[in-house]
Amino acid sequence: MNLIVFTKRVPATQEEELRITGEGKAVDLSKVPFKVNDWDNYSVEEAVRIVEKTGGAVTAVSIGDAESDEVLRRAIAMGAKDGFLVETGDVLHDPNARATLIQNFLKKENVPFDAIFTGVQSEDDQFGAVGGILAAKMGLPFVSMVIGIDAFESDHVIARRELEGGLQERVKVMLPCVISIQTGINEPRYVSIMGVRKASKVERKVFKAADYQENVVSKIEAVKWVYPPKKTGATILSGELDGACKELLGILKEKGVYQ
Amino acid sequence: MTTQTQTRVLTCIQCGKCTGSCPESGRTPFNIRMLMRKKQFQSGIEESIPWYCTSCGACTIRCPRDVKPSEVIIEMRSAFVEDGEIPVAIQKALENTFVQKNPWGRSRAKRGAWSEKMEIEIPHVSETQSKRLLFTCCIQAYDPRCMVIPVNVATILNKGGVEFGVLGEEEACCGNEIRRIGESGLFEELQEENKAAFEEYGVKEIIALSPHCMNTLKKEYGDLGIKISHYSEIVAAMIKEGSIVPKEPYNKKVIYHDPCFLGKQNNIFDEPRSILNAIEGLELLEYSRSRENSMCCEGGGGRMFFEVEATYQRNAEVRVQEAVDKGAEEIVTSCPFCVMTLEDPATEKGIKVKELSEILMEVL
Amino acid sequence: MSYALVVAEVRRGVFEERNLDSIGICALLGQDSILLVPEGDYAVSEQLVNGLIRAKAEEAVVLNPLNMVNILEKVMAARGKPDVIVFTNSASGTELASYAAGYFNLPVITDVNSYDKEQGIFYKSYYSDKIFGEFRPSGEGTFIVTVRSGSFREFAVDKGSAPSVETIEDVTVNAARTFVEYVEEEKTDVDITKADFLLSVGRGVGNKDEIPDYEELAGLLKAVISGSRPVIDKLWLPKARQVGTSGKTVKPKVYLAMGISGAFQHIAGMKDSDCIIAVNKDPEAPIFQYAHYGIIADIHKVRDKLKDILKA
Repeated sequence: MNLIVFTKRVPATQEEELRITGEGKAVDLSKVPFKVNDWDNYSVEEAVRIVEKTGGAVTAVSIGDAESDEVLRRAIAMGAKDGFLVETGDVLHDPNARATLIQNFLKKENVPFDAIFTGVQSEDDQFGAVGGILAAKMGLPFVSMVIGIDAFESDHVIARRELEGGLQERVKVMLPCVISIQTGINEPRYVSIMGVRKASKVERKVFKAADYQENVVSKIEAVKWVYPPKKTGATILSGELDGACKELLGILKEKGVYQ
Repeated sequence: MTTQTQTRVLTCIQCGKCTGSCPESGRTPFNIRMLMRKKQFQSGIEESIPWYCTSCGACTIRCPRDVKPSEVIIEMRSAFVEDGEIPVAIQKALENTFVQKNPWGRSRAKRGAWSEKMEIEIPHVSETQSKRLLFTCCIQAYDPRCMVIPVNVATILNKGGVEFGVLGEEEACCGNEIRRIGESGLFEELQEENKAAFEEYGVKEIIALSPHCMNTLKKEYGDLGIKISHYSEIVAAMIKEGSIVPKEPYNKKVIYHDPCFLGKQNNIFDEPRSILNAIEGLELLEYSRSRENSMCCEGGGGRMFFEVEATYQRNAEVRVQEAVDKGAEEIVTSCPFCVMTLEDPATEKGIKVKELSEILMEVL
Repeated sequence: MSYALVVAEVRRGVFEERNLDSIGICALLGQDSILLVPEGDYAVSEQLVNGLIRAKAEEAVVLNPLNMVNILEKVMAARGKPDVIVFTNSASGTELASYAAGYFNLPVITDVNSYDKEQGIFYKSYYSDKIFGEFRPSGEGTFIVTVRSGSFREFAVDKGSAPSVETIEDVTVNAARTFVEYVEEEKTDVDITKADFLLSVGRGVGNKDEIPDYEELAGLLKAVISGSRPVIDKLWLPKARQVGTSGKTVKPKVYLAMGISGAFQHIAGMKDSDCIIAVNKDPEAPIFQYAHYGIIADIHKVRDKLKDILKA
């Protein structure tokens, strides 16, 4: 099996206080540490496990700046055979543009594949659309939110999708196809620093995004960046116990967890 | 390729002194003597076992053959780390440390936040004359319960006219627990980063707030040419010289718990005691197992990030019970991990756990 | 005639509540809402929309993105291109939306949580929900959005008259992807990370004998019970239910913490929950700094009162 896995280097914003600069023009990421996109980590792990069983190779591809090499080395340390960096200048926000760039690259470079793995979404833009757009453009079947691959046969895949409320749906998808991987599908192996250093010995090919720009056009525009409405401290439900409890139940109903 | 520890285990005579000293033996599946035996024969080791070790160091200190079982454990863990086969909680702690330079994964940018809220100004170490660095430590930089410790110590040092500065967000995790978890590559990176900062700013002296930080900076960072001490040593000296004077009485029965990394591993037993004894009204009690024999609180060796499978009565509970039995009103200790592990069972029994600086702040 | 095509999510005979958000945004967009639904026997308040299109195909067929694009082609051939196609931001909604965007070469903005009518701007979360991006489709023409559950449903109002009805026949079924079956979560293995609603108990519970009453409350609320480390250490709850740094990290819709003080290591395991409700008798408990709502009271009293109300 030849599997292509996309992996992205993203800012670790979970714990950070982000600042918007230039009156909404940009978000200051200069002091934010970067890491591999969580979904892509699971995706690489899954691909490596499949290939360990079926034979073949995993090719990791990253669309990003030169620093994205980091996530390719990580993928190689986890078991990917190759790493390709498609080096971009500015950040491409629009999933349509990203997907078109990928499509052009895969076509021009003739990268062979039985399946393409993406993460369900990236931690930074949270769009969750590149996989589906790519699949449709390439005329490939698509299955998203995959929480388990039950079978990976020569011509099809049996996968389970994670729906809401603990429900899953099992689908059969013919190969070649595009699969978006959900977190929790597996337990990714730990990649040690020494492991990454060893992986540095494998060559990562660098390509320039400028060479694959045909029809790469942003269909949406990011007008401005703003802060979400401020959260105040805990709203204390005060008053009589009876009233407070009823209010609590009301909140539960509103959140949709209790009918 | 034989490693140093591989050759050392071959001198083990299976006397069992290590297991006799180990805080985990008898109550968990962890048997250090047996592990040394397995290593001698290069037998396989069940992957959950090495994670019980709390890195207290008792085995290494007591071994008559200098086998250094604690190092052998680290090596075993290293093998699992390189294979990627480690408990998820440990993975997380390591990955957090890689990204944010602290195992809790809290924002590096906020590492110096504790000092910004203070009334006195805490300078960057580069702005000081003495180039004396106060090394904060991850848990004290981020955990609300422990954040009072650097604030207290900074206040006390300031009161006594001891000049110092901090690195703020340039400080990275010391790596003591990281090394003990077996991630030597990550430990090296942390070490390099901290060392580079020390060099850049010409740091001449380091006061560590945590015995864990002190331990690794002093013994595992190589020859830095920098004087490294735990704050209790500095404060004990300050009281001796009279630069700070405990004025208020503290009429309580207080029992002192020796942290492993301060006590048995670095022989600092008297300084915290001299501080407590200088306080009027404070009746200092001792545990039956104190000083070199102090009972490990089980907070070290990665155990702060990770819960072992076996369920058994924790040492911390035993410690708290003894404190209650001896009539102590408070347990005092000088290590943030001990504070955290003792506090859980202590709150239940209605006894308070105080860090040394907290008592000092009430009496100065 | 401009219109907004709302692709309904109907699963296992249930017209999902989040469809109301899709319908709601149409009002803000100033568009007639035309709802695309599959075959089947399910309840839908038809008067919330201006028009209804019934695709003559069962749910499983309609929820398949490969088939959906063919249905959309037929709709557009019959009715002309909509100004906007709205999907729910859910497992299937995002799947369908992204595939349709690629198939028809349309702009797509996902997980929209609010809309500014004046400026024609859609708000979407970025960077762990810390920043909102203001987005607009570039140029004219049909575009696609998926809407965040709970964001627009207050705008879904009764139109006061029955909607027009059309049907789509001859839905092509693409064999490249087929539905096999639904798989229910195994009830024996508790995975608290998958629960939407966690009722978490801490040291404040006091002793083991109180746990069954909390379990009963959890049952009545349809919540999954979890606990902080002291509770697990004492074996009052099994290890699989531990929330915290050395347990599991959870992000449920609602995290109801009872008798949990909010120790750092616990907070790390649940701070990203959508809605945190803390009940604790200590007003200074650190958990109140992270909670969205709080009740300062004896947790046993709150538990018993909630049970009384629920059982009544």
